[in-house]
Amino acid sequence: MRKFKCSICGYVYDEIIGISQNGIAPGTKWEDVADDFICPICTAPKSVFKLLEETKPAPWLLANTNASVSLDLDELSAGEISVICSNLAKGCEKQRLMAEMEAFNKLADYFKSKATVENGRTLNDVIKMLDNDMSESLTAANAAAAANADRGALRSLVWSEKVSIMLKTLLSRFASEGETMLENTNIYVCDICGFIYIGQSPPEICPVCKVPDYKIIQVERR
Amino acid sequence: MPAYRNIRLCSKDCMCLYVCPSGATDTENSVIDVTKCVSCMACVNACPSRAISMIPSQYPPQQPKEEAVIVAQHMLAISKVKQEQIADAVAVSSAGAVTRQFAKAVAKSNRLMAEDILREAGYMLPQSDEVRKLLKAILTNAAPDFPKDAAQLLLSKL
Repeated sequence: MRKFKCSICGYVYDEIIGISQNGIAPGTKWEDVADDFICPICTAPKSVFKLLEETKPAPWLLANTNASVSLDLDELSAGEISVICSNLAKGCEKQRLMAEMEAFNKLADYFKSKATVENGRTLNDVIKMLDNDMSESLTAANAAAAANADRGALRSLVWSEKVSIMLKTLLSRFASEGETMLENTNIYVCDICGFIYIGQSPPEICPVCKVPDYKIIQVERR
Repeated sequence: MPAYRNIRLCSKDCMCLYVCPSGATDTENSVIDVTKCVSCMACVNACPSRAISMIPSQYPPQQPKEEAVIVAQHMLAISKVKQEQIADAVAVSSAGAVTRQFAKAVAKSNRLMAEDILREAGYMLPQSDEVRKLLKAILTNAAPDFPKDAAQLLLSKL
């Protein structure tokens, strides 16, 4: 008998126990659980569950760190500066520095207006970029953060990876099912980590970053 | 270092009103009046629901970041920024209301990830040297339509 863990929220499916309230009897093998099974906590699909094994070193600890490229301030794109400024605005809000918050938001809006407009591309392009993030940028960033024992960076990458996995799952479903997938349900985004949740009401806490539901914000349909 | 009330925690026991020596806690909108607050912490200690805390006015230097971490975080952030821009364009141009709504969620999700990733690339604290350096570099290379006043305000106040 084995256990399988949801890689988004950490929920563990135990073959010995099953989930009787969902009609999955004790002793049900993972391969006999329906393909459309979703995590009872965070609604992630069956495909993101991983066999719970003895602890193995994370893959990025084995990858080599070859990031020796240096970075110049004037190499920052308008899009990146906008992101840095919108985040600093939030930092000022937490410190109750409201004039500073407004100034950073003004800069964020300015640089967003100067950023590249990506016309003629589709959400399928986002899926391809997510695959590339997973196989390259995330692995490299994890390796750099682990090599330098930067737990803050590691934390941001753990959240990002989980949010990215869910994002890819939803984008792939949307690509095959189209608008019917979301017609009769709500869409929520966690205001802290970016986790997207599809359902009638938001989870009590964010499965990724654990903030309470009042920070999980509904996206309006217009 | 003024006191700040978290309205979500406040259970209206009003102890802060009884102990405040300057009347800063008694306001019509429940926001403590920073111009009256004398930073005595009496309200922080008296509040039974622990809804009041002191906002620091001094911060230590930001935790240092290694070059390799900074570069790797930027590489990932660049991808997330591009994905936000693609989703933004879809959110504007798509004919379907549900597609626009979903694209908006995808764009927001990417912005939040990129913010967090770059925050961990050395831009966490608004008062940090790194942020000052960035603001100065932006001002030096500013285009004519750049809102200089906002950047100057930040350099002088932070």
